[in-house]
Amino acid sequence: MSETNMNEYVLEVSGLRKVYPKFELRDVSFRVPRGCIMGFIGRNGAGKTTTIKSVLGLVHPNEGSVRFFGMDLAENEQAIKQRIGYAGGAVDYFSRKKIRDIVAVTKLFYGNWDEEAYRRYMEAFSLDEEKAPGQLSEGMKVKLNLTLALSHRAELLILDEPTSGLDPVSRDELLDIFRALRAKGVSILFSTHITSDLDKCADSITYIKKGEILASDTMEAFVGSSREAGFGNDLEEIMLHYEKEDYLEKLA
Amino acid sequence: MKNLLKKELKLATSPLAWFFLAASLLTFVPGYPILLGAFFVCMGIYQSFQAANLANDVLYTALLPVRKADTVAAKYISSCFFELVSFCLCAVFTVIRMTLMSGSPVYQKNALMNATPVFLAGLLLIFALFNLIFLGGFFRTAYKTGRPFLIFIIVTMLFTGVAESLHFFPGMSWLNDPAGSRMGVQLAALAAAAVIYAALTLISEKRSEIRFEALDL
Repeated sequence: MSETNMNEYVLEVSGLRKVYPKFELRDVSFRVPRGCIMGFIGRNGAGKTTTIKSVLGLVHPNEGSVRFFGMDLAENEQAIKQRIGYAGGAVDYFSRKKIRDIVAVTKLFYGNWDEEAYRRYMEAFSLDEEKAPGQLSEGMKVKLNLTLALSHRAELLILDEPTSGLDPVSRDELLDIFRALRAKGVSILFSTHITSDLDKCADSITYIKKGEILASDTMEAFVGSSREAGFGNDLEEIMLHYEKEDYLEKLA
Repeated sequence: MKNLLKKELKLATSPLAWFFLAASLLTFVPGYPILLGAFFVCMGIYQSFQAANLANDVLYTALLPVRKADTVAAKYISSCFFELVSFCLCAVFTVIRMTLMSGSPVYQKNALMNATPVFLAGLLLIFALFNLIFLGGFFRTAYKTGRPFLIFIIVTMLFTGVAESLHFFPGMSWLNDPAGSRMGVQLAALAAAAVIYAALTLISEKRSEIRFEALDL
C-alpha cells in the first residue's frame, strides 16, 4: 500500500465473497475516500448489511480483503476499531440502562475518548444522560450512537440504514449532521434504500444489486453517465430503472 | 479484560443473578435437596444471558476494540464469579451446620444429603456442568440460550437425584457423614471436584473461544 493511498482512502474493500445457502456476495470492491460521504445503495436484500458486517469483521468472508486507513482489518482489528464508529438504524444497546451508565463503561475501551466532545454532542443533540436508549425516539437513538462514535474521535462512520424509520424532519436533521461532520473531516459510509437522502448529501455512490457491485463512482459521474444512457435523472429514477419488476405484465 | 469484566457486571448482569445468590441459604433447609441451591444460582446466571441477548450485548461487545477471545473469557469469568461467591457462602454455611448446629434435632434424621465437604463437591460439579453445557452451548451461536439451558436442567436434575441418594448404597454412607469422622475422605472428594470444575471450565472456555472466533454474528 503506497503512502498516497493510505492518506487518500479510509476504507478499501477488495474482492469480497461471502456464500450463504440462498445468497452470495460476489467480488464486492469499493473505496471510501477520506472526508467523503459515500452512499451505499441497493434494494432490501441486495447485500448491503452483509457487506457492512463483513467490513466490520462481524461475518467472515470466504474471499477478499478489507483495509482501513491502509491497515488490514484481520491484523489490526483493535487499532482500527479505535478509529471507526458504527450505528445501525434499528439497533440499540442496553435499552433499559441509563445512557450515563452505558457511556461510563463504553469510554473505558477507547484510549482517545474526548469527554469535552461527548458533552458538546450530548448538548447539541439534546440527549439526556438520565434517560435509557429505550426511552428515545428512533432519530435520537441514531444521534446517541453518533455521539458515542464521535466522542472517541471516529474518523470513519459506518451507518447501516440510519434514516430508516425516521420522520422527514429527523431525516433532514440527520443529513445536516452528516454534512457538518464531513466539513470536520469525518468520512461516512451510509447504506440506505432511501435514495432521496443521498441526493442531498452523498459525494459518491456504491450500488449493489443481488450481491454484486453494479457501480462505484462519484455521485456526479454516476448520475451523469446514467442520465446520458437514459436510465434516469436522479438516484430514484436510476434505481427504478435497474430494479423495478414489471408486475403489471407478470400478473396480467 | 478488566474493562470487559466491568462491562459484564455493570451492563450485562441481571439483578436476578445477584438475587439468586440467596439460594445458597438453602444449605440450612432441613429435609430439602440442598444441592438444588447450585441450580438456582445457575438460573440467575442464565437470566443474565437472557437479558444480555435482549440488550444486543454480543453485537455491542463485538464492535468494541477488544479481542474476541477476551469477550468469551469475560463471560466465563463473570459466571465463575457468581458460582464461586455461592460456593464460598455455602462453605461457610456448611461449617456452621457441622459445628454450631450439629446438635440441632432437625438435622438428625435427614434422608437427603447433609451439609458436608461432599455437598460442596456436588455444588462444584453442578457449576462445572453449567459451564460445560450451558456456556459451551451458548457460544455455538452466541444467541441461543434455551436449548443449552434445557439440557443443563435435565442433566443437573439427574445428577442431583443420584447425588442426594448415593449414600443409601452399600459402602457409600461415608459420603453423608455429618459428624466429621470421615472428614479426610470427604475433603479428598471436594479436592477432586475442584480439579474437575477447573478442568471442565477451562476446556469449555477454550472451545468457546474457537467457536466464537468462527461465528458470523
